[in-house]
Amino acid sequence: MTLNLFYFLSFLAVLSALMVVFSKNPVYSVLYLIITFFTIAGHYILLDAQFLAVVHVIVYAGAIMVLFLYVIMLLNLNRESEPHKSNILKFAAVICAGLLLVVLVGSLKGTEAIVQQSGKAGIGYVKTLGEVMFKEFLLPFEITSILLLAAMVGAVMLGKSEKTNDTI
Amino acid sequence: MNRSDLYSLTPLLILSSAAILNFFSISIKRNHKVIFAITVLSLIGDFIFLTSYSLYHQQHIDPLLVVDGFGIFNIGLILLTTLVVALMSYAYFEQREERKEEYYILLILAALGACIMVISKHFVSFFLGLEVLSVSLYSLIAYLRTRERSDEAGIKYLILAAFSSAFLLFGMSLIYATTGKMDFGGIGYYLTTTQDIPLIMMAGLGMLIVGAGFKLGVVPFHMWTPDVYEGAPTPVTAFIATVSKGGMIALLVRFFNAINGYQYESFTNLFTVLSIASMFVGNILALRQTNLKRILAYSSISHIGYLLVAFLSGGSMGAQATTFYLVAYFITTLGAFGIIATLSDQHRDAELIDDYRGLLWRRPLTAVAFSAMLLSLAGIPLTAGFIAKFYVITAGIGTQHWLLVFCLVVNSVIGLYYYIKIIAVMFDQKLQIKSAKELHPLVYVISSVTIAVLAVFLFWLGVSPEGMLSLIDDVI
Amino acid sequence: MILMILILVLLFGGIAAGFSGRMNTMLPRWISVGAIAINLFISLWMAAQPNTNSSPWLLQLKLNWIPSFGISFHLALDGISLLMIILTFFLGIIAVAISWNEIHFRVGFFHFNLLWVLAGITGVFLTMDLFLFYFFWEVMLIPMYFLIGIWGHENRQYAAYKFFIFTQASGLLMLMSIIALYFVHGQATDQYTFNYFDLLGTSMNKQTAQWIMLGFLAAFVVKLPVIPFHTWLPDAHTEAPTAGSLILAGLLLKTGAYGLIRFILPLFPEQSAAIAPVAMALGVTGIVYGAVQAYGQTDLKRLIAYSSVSHMGFVMLGVFALTEIALQGVVMQMITHGISTGALFIIAGLLYERIRTRDVTQMGGFWKSIPVASVITLIFAMASLGLPGLGNFVAEFLTLIGSWSANKTMTLIATIGIVFATAYSLRIMQKVFLGKSRLEHHQSLADLTARERLILLPLVIVIILLGVHPQPAIDLAKDGLQKTLNREFQAPKEPKIINPNYQTLTVPATEKGVHHE
Repeated sequence: MTLNLFYFLSFLAVLSALMVVFSKNPVYSVLYLIITFFTIAGHYILLDAQFLAVVHVIVYAGAIMVLFLYVIMLLNLNRESEPHKSNILKFAAVICAGLLLVVLVGSLKGTEAIVQQSGKAGIGYVKTLGEVMFKEFLLPFEITSILLLAAMVGAVMLGKSEKTNDTI
Repeated sequence: MNRSDLYSLTPLLILSSAAILNFFSISIKRNHKVIFAITVLSLIGDFIFLTSYSLYHQQHIDPLLVVDGFGIFNIGLILLTTLVVALMSYAYFEQREERKEEYYILLILAALGACIMVISKHFVSFFLGLEVLSVSLYSLIAYLRTRERSDEAGIKYLILAAFSSAFLLFGMSLIYATTGKMDFGGIGYYLTTTQDIPLIMMAGLGMLIVGAGFKLGVVPFHMWTPDVYEGAPTPVTAFIATVSKGGMIALLVRFFNAINGYQYESFTNLFTVLSIASMFVGNILALRQTNLKRILAYSSISHIGYLLVAFLSGGSMGAQATTFYLVAYFITTLGAFGIIATLSDQHRDAELIDDYRGLLWRRPLTAVAFSAMLLSLAGIPLTAGFIAKFYVITAGIGTQHWLLVFCLVVNSVIGLYYYIKIIAVMFDQKLQIKSAKELHPLVYVISSVTIAVLAVFLFWLGVSPEGMLSLIDDVI
Repeated sequence: MILMILILVLLFGGIAAGFSGRMNTMLPRWISVGAIAINLFISLWMAAQPNTNSSPWLLQLKLNWIPSFGISFHLALDGISLLMIILTFFLGIIAVAISWNEIHFRVGFFHFNLLWVLAGITGVFLTMDLFLFYFFWEVMLIPMYFLIGIWGHENRQYAAYKFFIFTQASGLLMLMSIIALYFVHGQATDQYTFNYFDLLGTSMNKQTAQWIMLGFLAAFVVKLPVIPFHTWLPDAHTEAPTAGSLILAGLLLKTGAYGLIRFILPLFPEQSAAIAPVAMALGVTGIVYGAVQAYGQTDLKRLIAYSSVSHMGFVMLGVFALTEIALQGVVMQMITHGISTGALFIIAGLLYERIRTRDVTQMGGFWKSIPVASVITLIFAMASLGLPGLGNFVAEFLTLIGSWSANKTMTLIATIGIVFATAYSLRIMQKVFLGKSRLEHHQSLADLTARERLILLPLVIVIILLGVHPQPAIDLAKDGLQKTLNREFQAPKEPKIINPNYQTLTVPATEKGVHHE
């Protein structure tokens, strides 16, 4: 059952990923991308990582894709406004991506079963994750807050309009 | 986390408190002077606190960090560099219209990220430190929003840094998949148990190197360097050239020593190629430039190439040479960018070579200091750059890296050409009068004193490097 | 300690001159003259002391500098270095004097550079630590670069670049060799040091020694210069201000020759014997080529510059003849060439001041209007072609005698080279001073002023003295040269340092610094 589900999800994921690339309309691309994210979230659940699945849906399918949609709509992209890409550029991109694929497939093919000594049951549960995060990895958790702080300051600073400059 | 852990982390805590203090200060009243004072004082205080550690201090904060002599030394270097950047920023931002206060917060946070990086011994802390540094840098680079090129630089850096972070993460996860470990020691231990590295781990390490290569700006990942150097405000450029790259180098040294990466020929070959390519591409592209910031960008690419020669030598000699080179390079780069920052006016940076025509006759001391910095970059005796280059060549010859050393020598000569070209322009006799709006004299005093101190250090290290050599010897 | 003072006086004199230039334009000149005069006096006084010691080393000083690398601040003085530093200070004073009226632009900075070049050269002649040697070798380049690049003639930038890049590139090869030697010696004896005396007699296989020597050789033959590495020289000499040409020709080239004698021969005796035929051939080629080129030049300074290439060929020939007489000749050649060519450059500079051109085709018939200058030029032109009774004759004669036993063919060709020298020397006289005047208002041409006479007179006296009574100079150099050839060079008596750590064996400067034996 699980295996069948895995194949189904994988098929869907690959198909929708291909559709992202091949759709002519950028909005369709984004929508296909959302499907891809959902299928990957399905994979996470199969792997017993519920928390990750939820976060993945919220962050990627929710926040980031909405942002993408907005940007695409605001820019009003269509075929005419699309910047011309030379064939060499496309060719180079295909070669690079192909090489990366070869490397990854090659290296993954050689490995038998990936070692999983830390694979105790329920590692993906929210509870386990919370325990690890607030005990063992407390410090990085705090550092993450600094990371967000830096991002926030930067975003506010750059995003603020010039006019309000004097009033603050 | 116990008390001695906290004691060892105090320098980081001081930095974060300084950032928060700056927040409060801004929310009460925006005042450039106050923020500047808080920043400078906390950096100085932090450094003084740091000197209270013994050089043999060794505190493992498992599983993420290790505060040891090497880490303390590098934190000290980062703090002092940030201090110098802050000092030169005051005059630079005072003459500009933009809001200046947030700049210092971001600067402190970036320094904090770099500090985390140099004491990390785990992929998680490494990545977090790097991201704190990068995220702060995105907005620092685009800080002067009204200039058209700063947006471009910011976006370019954002995209490429995000790209390189993706590579780093992918590499880390591949390594984790093989070894089941994320701490450097664990990975090193895993490697001792296997004869040859599994292919998948090799791919992971390769991606790690790609990610690190982006941050360092080695060829072929150097594309962003000139544009970002040119578009960023000059003090930020100085920060990128020093702290951001130096932190990554320190981390690489720690990582490679932990996993004993020098024994794998595939890695040393890879780094050899990167090093030689960086030296040649950096120097040759620099020859045609007329923009000083771009010249320094290309020169920094080649300097990372030189640094990799020391890095490749491995062992304690290699690590010492790397560290000494970093110190010398930091001083020199800060000095050079500091001078560019001092000469800039509110509309644009003094970045064209023509801005420096006849500088010797207009501002003799500045010109002499700038010449000293450039000669140090070229590795001419009496300056720190010479001792550093000597150390690198010694490390290279000591480990029989003849090809690398020979390339280094050839490139020193190529590099010499564009360094002395700048000096020759400064010594040009045609006088060109340029009037700039005079700032408050104190502003110039701060910048001038900073540059003077840097120049003194430059000569001091060049003439009497023994103290620094034995200090580095002690921490490694 | 005296040796250290020699260098420090110049360095601090340079700084003082540089700063005083802001207040007054005369002050830097007097400071420079004072500083160099002190040094000249000290070195002459040292030469006057009888050397009762069996060791050729008259004085030495050793201080720790960078013990982590086994680098010490090690200076030592023997007869050869003494002759060289006397020459340095003598020409140094002349250089300051000659720029008295020539340089009006940034006088302070000019003298700063001048004194620092001299300090670098003095350091090169004195140092006995290879790292320190490289250090001084480079230190003298930068101020020289400025001297050419700021105060030179029209094409100064190009010439300065070329000079700097040629010498830097070859210098870096030497640095590689020095470090390689350091490691070879360190791995063989476990004593990592840059000390010259320790590195003497390092055992290494032939292949290694060959490569290391080539690195050293690169630096010296570029500086000397030897064909085909000479192309920087005509440009640099021509474009430099008179004082710069004087120092380049008189002193900087000599550091190359000094390096050959001091480092190549003792450190790599077998290898230098092996390449001797090639080196001599290059030397002889240089003699003939330089002379032929000199004959074809119309630019007076360029002509003199090519004559330098020719004269330096004798140095190459003499050094690699590997006989004592030839080496005597080389040392004499170094001194006399410094004086005679320096003097010719001074005269070229004086003519340039008067008529604003260096083109010999625009000169002619000056004898009537400036007889004193003409006579002096005649003397130095004769010296340059090797007229008996003048210093250069002694030098060339000794070199040729010495190399005759080593290689007869080469010596014969070199002798033919002297004939060419006659041709170009006489051409100077004929084109410039004799024949029809090509200048319309040469009546306004002023003869030498008292100051100029005062500058040239000592040069005349010295070149004649060296021609008729060269014995003191020969005696002074003899000891060192013998030891160089017989490979029995030994360190001056001093506690041998075995521990590479050096910590315990620091020689306090005040007690052990000086032994005047």
